[in-house]
Amino acid sequence: MRGKRRESLSKHKPYNFKFACALALLVCAVALFSCSSRNEKPATTNTATTAQTREVTDESGKRVRVPWRPQRIVTLAPNLTEIVYALGAGSRLVGNTTYCDYPAEAKQVEKVGDTLQPNVEKIIALKPDIVLITTASQLETFTRQLDERAIPIFVTDPHDLEGVFRSIKTLGDLLGQQEQADKLVGDLRARASAVEDAVKSRPVVTVFYQVSPSPLWTAGKRSWITDLIKRAGGRSVTAEVEGEWMRYSDEAAIASKPEAIIMATGGEEKMEVAPALQKSPAALNKRVYGISGDYLSRPGPRLVDGLEEMARSLHPEAFQK
Amino acid sequence: MAIARQSEILRGARSTLRRTIIICLALLLVLLLTIVVSSVIGAERLPFASSLCALFSGGNSSCGLTPEQSAILFEIRLPRILLAASVGASLATAGAGYQALLRNPLAEPYLLGISNGAAVGTMVSLVFFGTGQTSEWLRPVMAFVGAIGSSFVVYQLARGRTGASPEKLILAGVIVTTFLSSVIVFITTMMDATRIRSFTFWLLGDLSGASTNLLTIAIIAAIFGGIVLTLHARSLNLMMLGERDAFDLGVEVERVRLIVFLGASLLVGASVASSGSVGYVGLVIPHLVRLSVGSDNRTVIPSAAFAGALFVIIADTIARTIIAPRELPVGAITALIGAPLFIFLLRRG
Repeated sequence: MRGKRRESLSKHKPYNFKFACALALLVCAVALFSCSSRNEKPATTNTATTAQTREVTDESGKRVRVPWRPQRIVTLAPNLTEIVYALGAGSRLVGNTTYCDYPAEAKQVEKVGDTLQPNVEKIIALKPDIVLITTASQLETFTRQLDERAIPIFVTDPHDLEGVFRSIKTLGDLLGQQEQADKLVGDLRARASAVEDAVKSRPVVTVFYQVSPSPLWTAGKRSWITDLIKRAGGRSVTAEVEGEWMRYSDEAAIASKPEAIIMATGGEEKMEVAPALQKSPAALNKRVYGISGDYLSRPGPRLVDGLEEMARSLHPEAFQK
Repeated sequence: MAIARQSEILRGARSTLRRTIIICLALLLVLLLTIVVSSVIGAERLPFASSLCALFSGGNSSCGLTPEQSAILFEIRLPRILLAASVGASLATAGAGYQALLRNPLAEPYLLGISNGAAVGTMVSLVFFGTGQTSEWLRPVMAFVGAIGSSFVVYQLARGRTGASPEKLILAGVIVTTFLSSVIVFITTMMDATRIRSFTFWLLGDLSGASTNLLTIAIIAAIFGGIVLTLHARSLNLMMLGERDAFDLGVEVERVRLIVFLGASLLVGASVASSGSVGYVGLVIPHLVRLSVGSDNRTVIPSAAFAGALFVIIADTIARTIIAPRELPVGAITALIGAPLFIFLLRRG
């Protein structure tokens, strides 16, 4: 049949023939590619059905088949890297992101891009037996590619401090570090309740959490920031607004009259109060606090450091010995 | 005989002028009404009567508004409405100008890549000179440079031996737009994560948070650019017959083209620097205006300014109230209203 086609083609211009060749090559390449991936799949699912793996549910509700004790871990967010190290599994971390700079050893680990744009090829080349990511939403196309290679992806999605503790426990269980996880969470919980006890009798301070000044962004109901502010003896004025991070109305910000403004610091950005908040009680009374973004924007163990700093800023008198 | 004809032309010009003034006054009235109405609507509910009272007293009397309420009204809402008006006026006039100059109904700052040119200019200035006080003046200048640069490139790409054909012009515009979009993506990728969020919002058009300086620049540019284009409306009328014919009729084609390009770039540059890219205004408004007042540019250009201002004020009022206290980018609303409206116009025409 192929011969026949070539015969009929040779009657046409050479241009057409070249084009047909190119097309045929392309078809072959596609066929080869699909064959090779088909060959690969049974192999990986074979290992997946052995007793070395188990099925768990991640925080996005997805069932994931993972090895009992993963040996090659890739993390795609700095908070996850920090959790892995805090659990004592840092030596098994084979890849993380350019944002992962804590603890210092994390910087030496192979980088696979940043959290927003991880490099799939690099991840695959590292042959991870588990990839940890935080909030699935942005990474859909990318997770599909890893799914096709049967690389398990475990999603964590914390929205408050309790959620971070839960993530630490789940990851402890996942990585075979249950004891360390229990101890870590126990310590963190003790520190958090010490803070809460210290501020319990203090008057609640209304807080505006400023993500960026102009356009004005803030944290809403579903953000761990709102929970943190509450535990630190404050009340976020945007606590009831649906969503996690959002563009917020300047008018509503003025009307909320916060007594304190908290913002994450770090990087090149200066502390700059949003134009809409410049006449707020917080700005007039100089109650504007910058807390390291490394603590506040990474839902990991150091979120408790952020909580402590926040409470000390909002209620300095409660911590004077 | 010749004198009789001249006086006839003169009478014609006078009646056009009278008609234009009447239409513009009517639109101005509606515009003022819309400004008043939209300044009592917002994320924060203000007492209606007191707000009106404060508005009409020009802020001299508080009329029982609390300091916060009066700050919301005079420092947030009103400047934002004025910015919406000048951005709308600028984009609509620029669109009308491009359409006449290029004899192309699809010519529009956004489609021609000129908005994106201005956006790249603004971003370059933000990346290299930051967001401080001095760079605030630099931003519109860079946006203006970007707008001129991209209109020059589009025009050169489209110009053949026989002048720029409408099809080639749109193709060149699409090429420049997509190229500049990837430049924008490149720049946003190089910036850190928190700033990206603000920028993607800004790119879709965001009228909040413009400083007094930027607002002043936007208003001055809108008025100045609008006047320049209106003064050249008669030449543009003749150029719509074809540049050759216009030249034969005594129009200094090269000079008019340069001035209209510069004027429109100024309009686009100032509005992009203060509020990002608000799409569809420059396309839909001139068409709507032409449908209702005819195609004489002497009427179309000034009327488009008022109608554009109206359109963007209404779109922004929706953007800042519909999911309050959260906000939508105004560009999303203008596109949501503009695209179906344009399809409707296309099918009717």
